Amino acid sequence: MTESTVILALVVITALGFDFTNGFHDTANAMATSIATNALRPKVAVALSGLLNLIGAFLSVEVALTVTNAVVKIQNSDGTPKPSLTEHGGEALLIIVLAGLVGGIVWNLLTWLLGLPSSSSHALFGGLIGASIAGLGWAGVNWNGNGSKLDGVVGKVILPAIMSPVIAGVVAAVGTWLIYRVVTGVAQRFTDNGFRWGQIGSASLVSLAHGTNDAQKTMGVITLALIATGDWTDTKNIPLWVKIACALAIALGTYLGGWRIIRTLGKGLVEIAPPQGMAAESASAAVILASSHLGFALSTTHVATGSILGSGVGKPGAQVRWKVAGRMVAAWLITLPAAAIVGAVMWFLGDLIGGLGGAILIFVLLLVAAGYMYLRSRREPVGHHNVNDEWEGAPEPERVPAGSAS
Amino acid sequence: MSDNLGFALEGAWKVLFAGLILGAGLPLLFALGIRSLAWGAGGEAEVHESGVGGPKAQPIGTVIGWILFAIVLAGIVLGITFVVASGFGKALSFEHIYPTIIDKH
Repeated sequence: MTESTVILALVVITALGFDFTNGFHDTANAMATSIATNALRPKVAVALSGLLNLIGAFLSVEVALTVTNAVVKIQNSDGTPKPSLTEHGGEALLIIVLAGLVGGIVWNLLTWLLGLPSSSSHALFGGLIGASIAGLGWAGVNWNGNGSKLDGVVGKVILPAIMSPVIAGVVAAVGTWLIYRVVTGVAQRFTDNGFRWGQIGSASLVSLAHGTNDAQKTMGVITLALIATGDWTDTKNIPLWVKIACALAIALGTYLGGWRIIRTLGKGLVEIAPPQGMAAESASAAVILASSHLGFALSTTHVATGSILGSGVGKPGAQVRWKVAGRMVAAWLITLPAAAIVGAVMWFLGDLIGGLGGAILIFVLLLVAAGYMYLRSRREPVGHHNVNDEWEGAPEPERVPAGSAS
Repeated sequence: MSDNLGFALEGAWKVLFAGLILGAGLPLLFALGIRSLAWGAGGEAEVHESGVGGPKAQPIGTVIGWILFAIVLAGIVLGITFVVASGFGKALSFEHIYPTIIDKH
């Protein structure tokens, strides 16, 4: 076993770890509203979402190998790694990818601890960007693409992040408004029952779409690492074991459920009634599907949050907690730079020691950070038992420094 | 930057349009379905003055309601087909009005 094989193993484990955090970070996108309105019991909701993510991940057979090309320049356009990075068994590329993944995971865990729904794709891209800047300089990042199509950090990450929540919000607000207009005069118990079913259907669609979209990214990253070390050569396909491992990781993560985030999205933002929940999930599903068809990359988290906000705006007399929304937007803005900083620092630390020792150091630092945040989360656990407690008056499930908690 | 902004705005309009049709249109049909069912069921399903029996049941409402649900269901099935098809390198085509699965160009 050579040095680069060991580093490769660390990269694969870390990538699967990222996929896992991606899963539990995003359970809320599909299921927060169904849980908040009691359409599904919390445990059932996460099980259903996990299963659909698993199925969804297998449906995504499209080659996701060029996933990093949108933001950094470590691959050629056919998916093979840049030759300059593959000397010495691809160590240079592996360290960049490893540092980037660690940046993504650390940010995902931190936002989870704070109960903030931030984008997992932004965390991954941010980490990769930071590690690439550290390893290759500013020119290692694909800032703007070449002007022939929507590409680069600006086109694939920043612009969609600004537009997608607005689009989803408008769709959800229109849907909610129409629904409430139509059902005036129908007894509430009758409508709530009906809309719960609609909610379950639309939320399931979001889960499925999530599995197809997000599991792909990790599959692409792992395959890239395998090609860099020469363990895989086919740029048209992804190894079956990678597909199975990624699908299981994202499904398990989803099943575990990011309860803190589910609570924020389901209870914190808007008091959701079943008709709003259905409007929000339908809007999310439609926007996610339409954009992936049109090649308009976006984050499911941004879409889901925009939809839920929109469902609050569209219901006459509903209360929207803009303070909570403001905190989320703040988290979105700093997700990419924050993950980038962690990624860059990790790369420098890894480079300082170099080789296998550097990779092991980064990996150990990740374990320490993850362990610490897990222990912190145990102080005020949020789980399926208390996810639906009243938002106001209940003990604050998360602590935010500087007194910004509402 | 300006190139990207143009491409993004172009895509955004399409997404908004498709989103409104599917994401707000289907829920609207669903809501109409619920309303029809309530009209069909009569009595306690509709808001009425307390102390008296609710409006009379209208069986045709139940039928219309289920027809509307069937349309919504068809929309969802189409959505799932779309996800699955694009995963296998196929695309949905509406060339012949009714959807058919074709190879991606």
